[in-house]
Amino acid sequence: MKKYGVFLLVMLVLVGGTSFAEVKNPDTYIHLGIGEPDTLDPHHAYDTASGEVLGMVYDNLIAYKGESVTEFVPRLSLEVPSAENGLIKDDGKTYVFPIREGVKFHNGSDLTPEDVEYSFERGILADPYAGPMWMIIEALFDYQTIEDMIEDKLQIAWSDIVDEDGNLKSEEYASQLIDFYNQYIDPAIEVEGQNVVFHLVRPFAPFLSILAQNASWSAIMDKETCVSLGLWDGEPDGWWKYHALKKEESPLYEQAIGTGPFVLVEWDRAQQKLTLNRNDDYWGEKPKIAKAIIWGIDEWSTRRAMLEAGDADQIYTPLQYLEQVIDMPGVKMERGARLTITALHFNWTVEKGSQYVGSGQLDGEGIPPDFFSDVHIRRAFSYAFDYDTFIEQVLLGYGFQVPSVIPKGLLGFNEDLPMYSFDLEKAKEEFQEAWDGEVWEKGFKLTLLYNTGNEARQTACEMLKENIESLNPKFKIEVQGVQWPTYLDAYRQGQLPAFIIGWLADYPDPHNFVFTYFHSKGVYGITQGQAFIDFAQENLDSLVEKAIAETDEAERQKLYEEIQTIAYENALGMALYQAEDVYIMRDWVKGWEFNPMRSGEVNWEGVYKEE
Amino acid sequence: MFLPLTLLGISILVFLMIGLLSPYQRLATFINSPERLKGADIDKLVELYGLNDPLVVQYGRWLKNLFHGNLGWSYVGKKPVYDALVERFPYTLELALFSIFPIIFLGINLGVISAVNHNRPLDHGLRIFAVVGWSFPDFVFGLFILMIFYSVLGWFPPGNLSLWAEEVVKSSAFRNFTGMTTIDALLNGRLDIFWDAFLHLLGPVLTLTYVQFAFILRITRSSMLEVLQKDYVRTARAKGLDERVVINKHARKNALIPVATVSGQTIIGLLAGAVIVETIFNRTGIGSFMSLAAQQLDYASIMGGTLFFGFILVLGNLIVDISYAFIDPRVRLE
Repeated sequence: MKKYGVFLLVMLVLVGGTSFAEVKNPDTYIHLGIGEPDTLDPHHAYDTASGEVLGMVYDNLIAYKGESVTEFVPRLSLEVPSAENGLIKDDGKTYVFPIREGVKFHNGSDLTPEDVEYSFERGILADPYAGPMWMIIEALFDYQTIEDMIEDKLQIAWSDIVDEDGNLKSEEYASQLIDFYNQYIDPAIEVEGQNVVFHLVRPFAPFLSILAQNASWSAIMDKETCVSLGLWDGEPDGWWKYHALKKEESPLYEQAIGTGPFVLVEWDRAQQKLTLNRNDDYWGEKPKIAKAIIWGIDEWSTRRAMLEAGDADQIYTPLQYLEQVIDMPGVKMERGARLTITALHFNWTVEKGSQYVGSGQLDGEGIPPDFFSDVHIRRAFSYAFDYDTFIEQVLLGYGFQVPSVIPKGLLGFNEDLPMYSFDLEKAKEEFQEAWDGEVWEKGFKLTLLYNTGNEARQTACEMLKENIESLNPKFKIEVQGVQWPTYLDAYRQGQLPAFIIGWLADYPDPHNFVFTYFHSKGVYGITQGQAFIDFAQENLDSLVEKAIAETDEAERQKLYEEIQTIAYENALGMALYQAEDVYIMRDWVKGWEFNPMRSGEVNWEGVYKEE
Repeated sequence: MFLPLTLLGISILVFLMIGLLSPYQRLATFINSPERLKGADIDKLVELYGLNDPLVVQYGRWLKNLFHGNLGWSYVGKKPVYDALVERFPYTLELALFSIFPIIFLGINLGVISAVNHNRPLDHGLRIFAVVGWSFPDFVFGLFILMIFYSVLGWFPPGNLSLWAEEVVKSSAFRNFTGMTTIDALLNGRLDIFWDAFLHLLGPVLTLTYVQFAFILRITRSSMLEVLQKDYVRTARAKGLDERVVINKHARKNALIPVATVSGQTIIGLLAGAVIVETIFNRTGIGSFMSLAAQQLDYASIMGGTLFFGFILVLGNLIVDISYAFIDPRVRLE
């Protein structure tokens, strides 16, 4: 496909150059991406496409200031709480938000502090199985899911309380669940006059960033509207009927009624196209454009052609196509490093039945399940990857190596921390030491999997294979591409010996990354095998937990550096790169601004078009 | 009577194929990329969607819903499957209607000309033209058309409609009769909208026509050559009939029987959606929808779409059979 694209480009130049266009549709901003939102229910939404739209329609209590991820400005709250203004109290366990008055939702109803309370409580109680609500639950209660919390507090598993159809298995549970709500959930978020007060069970440093604009899970909804649509009615009795529903069952699946600067006009799901109009009654500064169009056009050539013709103002451009647009007349590029890490991690205990470990023994034709529990093997792998060449050639220089899984731009990052560099000599030494020399003597064979379509990961696997096989003719690594469903299956079953996986910040705090990769309960922590879980419980968990409950920044910095040093010494994973993004838009786009935490590619409130 | 049984058989076969996949593989419908592993409680999702249930139970659930007129939820279309299909089919039908006439018209006429000029330069020229189209992958030719007629000339933009026209069509003043914009525009008396929709159709129509007419041309040509050798043609010529009458009336009509069969297949193929052309020209047809559903193992969409195609296939073949009677009076509708 790419080859033909180049061929056609050459043809085009021969045919007679490009057509120039004046500013088309001056009041409308058209962004072409891929795909479309997963859902418009803020508490189910957990993808950037959903987050982008919800961030336009809904207001949060506070927002990031300009390009910063640590400074905030007030939004629906009149002030950003801090210890200085007395709105953060009890050593960081109480947060007070004075709610703005005179704000109206798009359907005309008034914003009240009760709406704020309802919005969070509904999210916590709904806590869908593939949703983002764990962040709020962790911040307020120090649990990962509401079901975990119930199990711990009531000593009954959720599956014993509720049957398949969502009904209680026994009537006696009703009063227990009502008590649970009254005792824990309700008091955590309270209305006091015009204020909303959050009570945390312990200090949680990133709490404000979990609430900031573009975090759909903290969007403020209208209680009245929600109840009338059929969401949780706000009553303690029966809340469980609204818990963990399928996303398509939510009455908010295709509607969004917030207080935000844009009003959702239509979500055309056949065209993957969202149309939003400026909210002319917006309480704050109104957007400059009158209409916003977010359009998923999955085919690159079509996006490219529409940008060229001026029918699109900005298009999502994967790196491999960059050369096709970078010199296009009338088009400019902006750059920005988002808070995202791509890392290769090892499975210390591969589950039985894996097809990716050869014979399953250290006989030269496979690897034993606990192959990667030997630190020398992990170090050898870490030395055998050519980080710089990869970034130069595959990422075209748009990225850089980081010491561990904390990206640049966050607390805890320190580029002076030790990191692995490409060094085949050291890799060889480590391999010779591994498994008491047995690995070097007998050799090994394993398979690295990547999901097809992900060229960067494929190349990373192939480079690693090339380098490691060059050390010893008895080392064999197969690189195999599989469809995503197959990959998901193998990953979930714990059958992959090693896997490359990325993480994009949910909120700009190192905890989000460190917990994910290194805590024994983290999303990727649990998939690195039992031996890793044991290691984490012994060496990492308490440090991770200490670092998040600490309120002093210098102290936190030290703790995160300590965690990263442990990660380095034990070669817990290979942080391959932090990628930079490129943003391609027409010259006439003005007011475009980057923020690492933005969902999507556009700052819709500030952007406009002018020749 | 035959139709429901066929469809039931198809549905069981497709379900069995999907059932060969593990529950975690099928979870890819809900967790459709590595990024979506975030916050996902995989085992609880498997339970919530009943992916662990025995296949018979899952099929029974689907069948039961079907009898209540519910084809399930399409995760690709983000709507109930039925709505997603109904929303997209008019676009596919419209493209098929606009493409099929040039395909058949060009195919038959150029085929006849080619046969009549057997082995003369005109014949060679037409055959080369056709073979080039036939062997051109549609994604190459489609891109070519898009580049020339959109990027350079600015005539045929991709998509369904221009922004202004879409606004009109979606307003309450515009009445929807068929879902096919060109036809609805005429019924609403909006020539400007018709013209806009027509321009958006031309790119895909041009692409489909060029890559598909060659097949009909070749069938027509060979069938025509065969007929032209027949005794009755020689007799017709011998008795001094005008050559045009010989070819157009006596020979061509007889040569059309195999062409009808092939045209029927072409029409059915067009109605099943043109994945590549729809993708390149960003048209919201049924082809790109089904291809996405298959990639993401969205089984409700796959089942619904398969039933729909099965229906079209049976219906299409019926229509082809009936058309024989019009071409060849010896075939009777009994």
